[in-house]
Amino acid sequence: MAAAQGTYATQRWGYYFYLIPGVLGFLLVVLIPQVSNFVLSFTTWKGVGLPRWVGMQNYQRLITDDQFWGSMIHTLLFIISMTIIPVIIGLVLAALLFDYIRDQWGEQVSSLFRAGFYLPQILPITTAGVLWGWILSPIGVVNIILKGIGLAPLAQNWVGDATWALPSVSFMIVWIQVGYCLVVFMSGLSRIDPSLYEAAELDGAGWWQRLTAITIPMLAPEIFVVVLTTLIAALKVFAPIFVLTAGGPDNATLVPSYLTYYHFFTTQRVGYAASIAVVQMALTVVLAIIFLRFQAQQQAKE
Amino acid sequence: MLKLSRLALAASLSTMLLAGVAHAQSKTFNIWWFEDPTSSENIAWTKALDEFKTKHPDVTVNFQLKTFQQLQASGSMILNSDQAPDVLEYNKGNATAGLVASQGLLTNLDDYVTKEGWDKILTPGDLTLSKYDDKGIYGSGHVFGISVYGEYVSCFYNVDMFEKAGLKVPTTIDEWVADMEAFKKQGVTPLALGAIDTSGQHLLASLAYTKADDTWIQNYQGLKAPLDGAPYLYAAQTLSDWVSKGYINKDSTGMKDPDAALLFTSGKAPMYVSGTWNLGNFASTIKDFKWSQFVIPTTKYSVGSTGNLWVVPKGSKNADLAAEWISLTLSPKYQTELANDGGVAIAADPATITNPVGKNAASVFKQIADKNGLGFYPDWPVPGYYDVLNQKDTGLFQGTLTPQQFVDQIKKVYDDAQSNQ
Repeated sequence: MAAAQGTYATQRWGYYFYLIPGVLGFLLVVLIPQVSNFVLSFTTWKGVGLPRWVGMQNYQRLITDDQFWGSMIHTLLFIISMTIIPVIIGLVLAALLFDYIRDQWGEQVSSLFRAGFYLPQILPITTAGVLWGWILSPIGVVNIILKGIGLAPLAQNWVGDATWALPSVSFMIVWIQVGYCLVVFMSGLSRIDPSLYEAAELDGAGWWQRLTAITIPMLAPEIFVVVLTTLIAALKVFAPIFVLTAGGPDNATLVPSYLTYYHFFTTQRVGYAASIAVVQMALTVVLAIIFLRFQAQQQAKE
Repeated sequence: MLKLSRLALAASLSTMLLAGVAHAQSKTFNIWWFEDPTSSENIAWTKALDEFKTKHPDVTVNFQLKTFQQLQASGSMILNSDQAPDVLEYNKGNATAGLVASQGLLTNLDDYVTKEGWDKILTPGDLTLSKYDDKGIYGSGHVFGISVYGEYVSCFYNVDMFEKAGLKVPTTIDEWVADMEAFKKQGVTPLALGAIDTSGQHLLASLAYTKADDTWIQNYQGLKAPLDGAPYLYAAQTLSDWVSKGYINKDSTGMKDPDAALLFTSGKAPMYVSGTWNLGNFASTIKDFKWSQFVIPTTKYSVGSTGNLWVVPKGSKNADLAAEWISLTLSPKYQTELANDGGVAIAADPATITNPVGKNAASVFKQIADKNGLGFYPDWPVPGYYDVLNQKDTGLFQGTLTPQQFVDQIKKVYDDAQSNQ
């Protein structure tokens, strides 16, 4: 008995060997930067030279920083445009493509649409940002079209007016995010037993009823994953803001990641930037834990 | 043509890289700059680099074209590593060159200044931004970098449109306003502006500097006292007035500099206030009309400065070669070349310049520099002030900030930095 346990333990030790690359990668890319960022958040540092310990000073400053709180509020709004709206549109589109378009026009048309909706995900975001910049510019395509069809009063200064900047950026983000949700949901749909739909159809259920009674409950695991990943993406959104508005006009589209970038690279308040990043990370981790708990509970119920 | 030259550049870069591998044993000299491929600086320096290479057949010269953003974002970290080149172009000012100089990352060039005779070519004013003290504040201390060109903000104008409207080049702000009013009456928005980018704050500062005296500029740029907001208040009031009168389109808050420049180069807007870095672009793209530039009427100070610096990182193994390179770009031959490519030469003999654009630019720069009228850029005193001014002036232009609120908000950031030095 004892001998058998011994061999079992040595066998297990053999496996640990294979963990080394992963652990090293984790240390280098995740843990060490996180810890050093955490330590830096208690210092003042210009990026070169020696950091100076200042205790909680950065966090005290954070509490009274209007820019920081403004950016937090914008993050809440970006959760709508990065998570909620794309998930809803993605669900409806996936269901439409899967059991309506495909049935009516065949696999190829459905694949074409799927690829089309996914395209914004493949396009480098800087390229997409520049294109959207042209489209939304006051002398850009949107306004030219609106003026051309006699709707000149609707033409706006899309990214330059504080009222419209946030919705405009959100619109571009929805355009980017929908493809991701759609593809995940479509792969989930292929997992669902078609006989469920057939039975429902025989019972006289319409498209909408099948969506709410079968598709959404059956897709719950995919929806959880997509909501969690897009939620995290929303909390650290940076690139679309950076290329489209640089946080403007008058900080109307500022987000925490951009504020971190700004303080790290331009004001050289590296310690302060680190403290913003720490708060951001804490929020992300807390949200992720709550969400995973919730998901585990849901699965346990089933 | 542009594509061809880029292709040639890429080809020469890759051969250089290959050469670097092949001759790893021989002496290598690494040099970086970040001027735009079409800019006059890049054109002139590329030619100078060819001469440099033929002069030193035993040295492998590795050149890399960086971008301003790359060095702005991570320059100090590169200089702090063993990846730093032997000589590179670096952004001038306290927050950039001053910071790395104060951290001991740059070679002190004091000896070279006399040895290479740079003090005979450049005036003391031209060297103001070359010197940084222990804290990294410009103006005194050791020489850590050399600028070989100048830059200034002026108003570019469409000569044909001015002539057709029967208007004269303004010599006072009132005349300038009268010109704008005349264009407005014809249904033309006179001033193109990209408020998201630099041209918003440069127009703002150009107006503020017309009310600035020596003390104000020295205090402002030296972070010596809390901000005296009066010049900025005048500028902000003037600009919000111009927006409401329609001299500036409110939509400019949604435009970047290239969009605004396009309004000027396509002949839609008769005026555009921006820096001399546009000269190369304008010279190559404007074909349909005559254009020129006038300095915004001011008693003494204009927005402008000597250009970015050649600096020699502390780890450079070839400081002598680096100094020789700097001397080459300062030589009459390449100063004239720079002006003939449309750049703002700092030490060219106007008689030798054949390009009218470069000739005019060199003489305007000399005019401003000779009366000590370089007021530098408004974002210099406070790290990150560039973004603050951009954010706040879009608020001013779109009308969500009153001139007084605008001044209060930029003063808050300035005074915060001033008291926490």
